[in-house]
Amino acid sequence: MKNFLRRFLLIDLLQGLWVTFRNQDPKLVITEQYPSQRPAVSERYRGAPRLNVHPATQETLCISCNLCAIACPENLIVVGSVRNPETKRKDLITFTYDLSRCMFCGLCEDACPVDALELTQDFEIASYTREGLIWDRQALEEGPRPTQYRQ
Amino acid sequence: MTSIDANELVLNMGPQHPSTHGVLRIVLKLDGERVKSTECIIGYLHRGVEKIGENRTYVQFAPYVDRMDYLAAVSNGLGYCLAVEKLMNSVAPPRAQAVRVILTELNRISSHLLWLGTHALDIGAITPLFYTLREREEVLKIFENYCGARLTTHAFRIGGLQYELYDGFEQQVNTFCDQFPAKVDEYEELLSGNRIWRERLRGVGVLDAATCKRYGVTGPMLRAAGVPWDLRKAQPYSGYEQYEFDVPTRTSGDTLDRYFVRLDEMRQSVRIVRQAIANIPTGPIMAKIAKVIKPPVGEAYVSIEAPKGELGYFIVSDGTIHPYRLRVRPPSFVNLQALDYMAKGALVADVVAIIGTIDIVLGEVDR
Amino acid sequence: MATVPWDGAIPELLREHLGPAVLDTLLYLDQPFAVLSLTAMLPALELLHAEAGFDYLVDITAVDYPKRECRFDLVYIVYSHSRNERVRLKAQVPVGQKPLSAVPVFLGANWLEREVFDMFGLEFAGHPNLCRILMPDEWSGFPLRKDYGITQMDNTWVQNNLGIESGQ
Repeated sequence: MKNFLRRFLLIDLLQGLWVTFRNQDPKLVITEQYPSQRPAVSERYRGAPRLNVHPATQETLCISCNLCAIACPENLIVVGSVRNPETKRKDLITFTYDLSRCMFCGLCEDACPVDALELTQDFEIASYTREGLIWDRQALEEGPRPTQYRQ
Repeated sequence: MTSIDANELVLNMGPQHPSTHGVLRIVLKLDGERVKSTECIIGYLHRGVEKIGENRTYVQFAPYVDRMDYLAAVSNGLGYCLAVEKLMNSVAPPRAQAVRVILTELNRISSHLLWLGTHALDIGAITPLFYTLREREEVLKIFENYCGARLTTHAFRIGGLQYELYDGFEQQVNTFCDQFPAKVDEYEELLSGNRIWRERLRGVGVLDAATCKRYGVTGPMLRAAGVPWDLRKAQPYSGYEQYEFDVPTRTSGDTLDRYFVRLDEMRQSVRIVRQAIANIPTGPIMAKIAKVIKPPVGEAYVSIEAPKGELGYFIVSDGTIHPYRLRVRPPSFVNLQALDYMAKGALVADVVAIIGTIDIVLGEVDR
Repeated sequence: MATVPWDGAIPELLREHLGPAVLDTLLYLDQPFAVLSLTAMLPALELLHAEAGFDYLVDITAVDYPKRECRFDLVYIVYSHSRNERVRLKAQVPVGQKPLSAVPVFLGANWLEREVFDMFGLEFAGHPNLCRILMPDEWSGFPLRKDYGITQMDNTWVQNNLGIESGQ
């Protein structure tokens, strides 16, 4: 008789429904209201690349060793440099990074011996054209500039 | 194939279908609502990962491995690193092994959570999806804090780990382990006693143990059929022999039993994580391995217990920096062969339940 | 390869029934494998399945050595639940020769052999439905062979079916 009542009065379905109602409490809402609330990504997040400059002299930290280009699985980094006859070191001229094929795997960041190439926490890197995703040295040093919409 | 039966309807569950979990095309031959035979057509997501493997160095290939079974990227990475380490005849240090176990088990939980959400969604229960994704968010936050990416993690390197543990890792994992078993009970409360759930899943897609072995089916499907076989117990790797956990099995091998097996696996994974995080050994995180990975000429097959089944890597090395042949044995590919056997005589709605219960990820089926 | 001879119950069983067709039984990095002649492959699988308890076919794959006379290396990996052992069986296949299909012994060989056919062009005699599985059905060319370029495509197929001129 008890079993029949359980089935007839839909007790098992009501039990599940009670779980759903319990979770309707507004305190349990975890939705992030993007774009007014940007997510706080972690420190190690592999986002947009950036070529770091020395904070004091504003000179690039890159020594044109080409290790990042060798490490990249997709071969999308091209480093252009010229050897300086006075200091006997290589000077960086151009640095091209094809973001459209980048997997954000972090192998280039791991390979860089001087921490010049770094994958930052920027994730808003969309562009309207394919060519806009091929970043040259200036774009890499400045970082992406997403359009700021009014709050 | 040349005669046409007037009572037979050929229905195409095309590559674009919300319930096929990816680009899977199934041609159903129906007699009314009953399925007479099915034919799977795959290859819509074939990216040539094995060919790419022959053209990249061992270190460069590691990010590609995440993208095969993209829901269990950490597991894929573990299998690949173990295979190359076997060829190089080196072993990761104990600290690296413990962290690898923690991250892999968390990945198993996240893969099963997504499976549960999408499987319930296919059956018609929309609510569990939100709750499982909410829990999965916590696991993905741990991955993001550790290696910088949520889905395609590239967490492990050949020889050990790249990143040291971050401050607050133990605290975050312990908080997750404390609140997670209650959530699994919440899913059980929603689904296990529900008569609609039981009617939809009981007796559907039965695969007994002998047929499982003949098809080569592994993973939770084999365990639901009654065979208590788990590669973490049978051929332990990466320090799994130190941890105490059960291998959940059920008897009848139908869809409902696979649901129970995967729920129990989530609970056992929490148990393993708790044991591992309680005593992570100190020491180096990377083994003494050459900078340029050039394994000696030879071949090796290493397999792990991925969330979907036995994931194996067969690597043939010819002494150069590129692998000569890199074969991935995908569990979903082999498990999907059993779909035809399971779907004979079932209704069309049952076919959806069966596809969900095999737990396929097309990235792995097609590579 | 720095191999070590493999002795034990299973090599003895193979040599007893197949005799000279078992060319070598070796261990590399503690993983046993046996090199057989091609005609002995299906009998070896049947033998291991029936008498040694190898009830689970793990994988079938092939390796391409274009400079060798017998171009392909066909590899079967089988596992026994009762013994908890995994064994690799290898055979060399020249171009044009058709190995016998293992589907009568292991049902799981169906798609695995289709994939080897699709990627390498190795046809299996007696397979119930040998057609391409990952590549489109009318594709010509076998992608995993070493003479197939990494960016090479079947341009006729692409043009007819996708309507684009060139792939890249």
